[in-house]
Amino acid sequence: MMAASSLISELRTSLSGESARIQREFEVSGDGRAAVAQRTRLVEGVLKRLWQDIVSSGGPSLGSSFEGLANFALVATGGFGRGWLFPYSDIDLLFLFADRDAEQAFKDPVRRFSQELWDLKLKLSPASRTLAECDRYDPNNTEFTISLLDCRYLAGDRELFRRLHDKVIPKLVMRESKALVQGLAEVTRERHAKHGMTLYHLEPNLKEVPGGLRDYNVACWLALISAIDKLHDWPDGSSLRAPVRRQLEAALDFLMSARCFLHFRHGRDDNTLSWEAQDAAAARKIGAADAGELSAADWMRIYFGHARAVQRTVAQLLEEIPEAWSALYRQVQSWRSRLTTADFSVVDGLIFLQQPASLQDPEVLLRLFHFMAHHGLKLSATTEYRIEQALPALAAMPPRGAELWLYLQETLLQPYAADALRAMHSLRLLTLLLPELKLIDSLVVRDFYHRFTVDEHSFLAIESLHRLKQSQSEWDKRYGELLNELEDPELLYLALLLHDTGKGVPGGNHVEASLEIANRAMDRLDVDPKERAEVLFLIASHLELSSALRRDIFDHATVAAFADKMGTPERLKMLCLLTYADIKAVNPEALTPWKAENVFQLYIAAENYLNRSADQRVHADVNDEKLARLRSLAPVTGSKFKGFLEGFPQRYLLMHTAEEVMRHMQMADGLGTDPVQVELKRGRHWYDLTLVTNDRPFLFATLAGVLAAWGMNIVKANAFSNAAGTVVDTIHFTDRFRTLELNLSEWARFKNSVVTVLLGEADLEKMLRDRQRSEKGTIAKVKVETKIEFDDSSSATTTLVQVIAQDRPRLLHRIASCLSDEECNIEIALIDTEGQMAIDTFYLTSSGKKLTAEHCKQVERALVEELRGE
Amino acid sequence: MTKIEAVIQNSKLDAVKTALHEVGVEGMTVIEVRGHGQQKGHTEVYRGREYSVDLIPKTKLEMVLADAMVEKAVQAILGAARTGKIGDGKIFLSRVDEAIRIRNDERGEGAL
Repeated sequence: MMAASSLISELRTSLSGESARIQREFEVSGDGRAAVAQRTRLVEGVLKRLWQDIVSSGGPSLGSSFEGLANFALVATGGFGRGWLFPYSDIDLLFLFADRDAEQAFKDPVRRFSQELWDLKLKLSPASRTLAECDRYDPNNTEFTISLLDCRYLAGDRELFRRLHDKVIPKLVMRESKALVQGLAEVTRERHAKHGMTLYHLEPNLKEVPGGLRDYNVACWLALISAIDKLHDWPDGSSLRAPVRRQLEAALDFLMSARCFLHFRHGRDDNTLSWEAQDAAAARKIGAADAGELSAADWMRIYFGHARAVQRTVAQLLEEIPEAWSALYRQVQSWRSRLTTADFSVVDGLIFLQQPASLQDPEVLLRLFHFMAHHGLKLSATTEYRIEQALPALAAMPPRGAELWLYLQETLLQPYAADALRAMHSLRLLTLLLPELKLIDSLVVRDFYHRFTVDEHSFLAIESLHRLKQSQSEWDKRYGELLNELEDPELLYLALLLHDTGKGVPGGNHVEASLEIANRAMDRLDVDPKERAEVLFLIASHLELSSALRRDIFDHATVAAFADKMGTPERLKMLCLLTYADIKAVNPEALTPWKAENVFQLYIAAENYLNRSADQRVHADVNDEKLARLRSLAPVTGSKFKGFLEGFPQRYLLMHTAEEVMRHMQMADGLGTDPVQVELKRGRHWYDLTLVTNDRPFLFATLAGVLAAWGMNIVKANAFSNAAGTVVDTIHFTDRFRTLELNLSEWARFKNSVVTVLLGEADLEKMLRDRQRSEKGTIAKVKVETKIEFDDSSSATTTLVQVIAQDRPRLLHRIASCLSDEECNIEIALIDTEGQMAIDTFYLTSSGKKLTAEHCKQVERALVEELRGE
Repeated sequence: MTKIEAVIQNSKLDAVKTALHEVGVEGMTVIEVRGHGQQKGHTEVYRGREYSVDLIPKTKLEMVLADAMVEKAVQAILGAARTGKIGDGKIFLSRVDEAIRIRNDERGEGAL
């Protein structure tokens, strides 16, 4: 029999009236904590009245079975047990029975009780268990055991509840603590993974995302399990350490108020902070009553600040409970402890400082994040605390300039750079070093496609490039190969970090604003002009490739126009990767295989176009931005300037900065006294040799020969000549035997050797023979098949030949010599090396004309013969 | 009611969408597809490796319209997607028996 209809009617009226009162009071106070406490009391009152009516007072139909009441208790669990009943949350209830007989005896009243609650529109989340069942941990239902940690007596057999609370649960937790923590960690990670492992969503689910209310509870549960395990009993009061609890109080107040607000607004258990909800919450200053006027973006920043605090605590607690980890993981962790250095120690995957005071030295702080980015480790709570303590002193005189850029670039290049950046950002160190990033800190920009805040989008883009190296997907592997080929990948990472900073500037074009901000950031980092130009190019063009995809990418004119905007293959490659990473970081579904294929197709077409159109010549009297800059640098050398530049391929101007061109001009000026001008510099990755001289047969082959004779490995090279026959060759090489690195005196000898061989004063063949004798043959790790391809259609004045072959000592010298032997003049050489593959493109003429078909065949035969059998 | 399926060049999507909006077509489904008709694709050589592009990336639009709208929509697609070259794509029309709006069970053209 149902409860008396008068009681139900009374309860319904009371529920509805009181719920409306709680809502009204919340609308005035905005106090979520008070609202959930009141709601808990209200529902508890209703449950107890119904319990009394249906279960305790028996009711006519219960008859003799009611004598088993002593073996049945009503227990609040989960959120309800904690006293946190949000306006539309489910009510977690446990029907606790002493044994199966009691369960059977109370079957009917439990059903009626539940039904009446449903009729009152109270959503139950009930569980029926015997005491023995509560004592069993089911790894497939971690949530149930965890919900018991918040159990609270409501009605029925108090002694039965005491047995559950005082004996069963503590023993269960002690016995299963390892499995429980492991299970909790697992469900938490799964939940985080569902939300992209980040809290920085544009429309976050306040309860479920990392840093949400659920994570706060996870923190409490982890601490509680640890405390029960240690004390063999329930702890007095909160098991969260006092500083952690204090730190999270404000976050909890905010999140509770925001969740109450969402429930009242949506009229259901919907915890999504939609854009409309953000507007309304900001207008009502939910959880931020003391703040001044707030925009939705300001309010979201407050939200992200609190969520960040919760996420850090959970992450630390998950890391700090070593019992949680499997034997295998422990092995890995102890291996990691061997990573300990003079500055840092590594325990259980967490970084500790060897000397707590060491952070007074900003370099140690920067090294710490480099270390983290390199090894993929996390900071311990004490290390984070020390960093926070060190920040005020650092803020007075933050590191800047080339030294900061050096540390930052080394960090950006490490495989876990994004994690290190996130940690720096979370601790407010990143914005201290680069205040320009404050503009995009936790910034929500409303966009139909983007799912994450602008800062997180930038970190994700960097992360997606680093992950290419481990990926098994076909497209990722192709993009991964491109990434490995980059000369200066750190510039690409810096561009990704800064590319959307302009979104923090209201109104206008975000690309232009990003350029201005990036310039300021690079002033701070003292980035050299050539590198700065590359980063600015990437930021300025970061939407170009996506725009080109909206055109017909199989149309030659589209490809040509796009490739011309890129200018050099290196820029094209970097922009291709930036576009890939930028799209991938929009949301997890944004980069479909279809899009990845389109981006790659356009890349291939543009790359081929660039390599086949390098002979378009410069006309020095044409107006163009680069030429204008050169004219401004060389106002007094007007005619020389024209004479020098006239006839160089366009590629020459694209590959060299204005300052480099000026230097080449100066070298060309000196040819009257020294007919072979050589300059040698040490770059970041390799040595750069620049040769300026007058063209002559076998020039390029001879130059390549000198380098081979010195044991140098040519990685890249460009050879260009102007209309007057002045040649500018730049060769980038690595010093295989560290000859130059270890012997400063060898620099002069090496340069002199280039000069004397080119002047015919030294015997190159003898030098090569000596080198060959001293070198043992090396075995190639990867076999590259030789391919020779002629292209007579791409250039009106020259014939292109591309030679792909196994890279090996003297290769370039042999190819270039072979071409010269076959009476080919090398007008342009574009030399590239990728891993063990040499990719050399030559623009050839013979007697000032293109090669005939017969001549091409003859050259091919000669090249095949030369490269055969190796 | 008629279902229109149009396979067009990716570059023509914006123009076709605008043209359809202009004649009053408000809803459509856009799908990223790969395929070929007479335009059989081609082979691109990159770093000595051949990349065969035999299935060309295209864009497919789908919409179901009241019969009175169909010819206008077809003309809009033709006008916006045509370049006169091989590879412009195709339009397919087929009869649709019923349309049902899930939200309120509305049926027929009113559900479109």
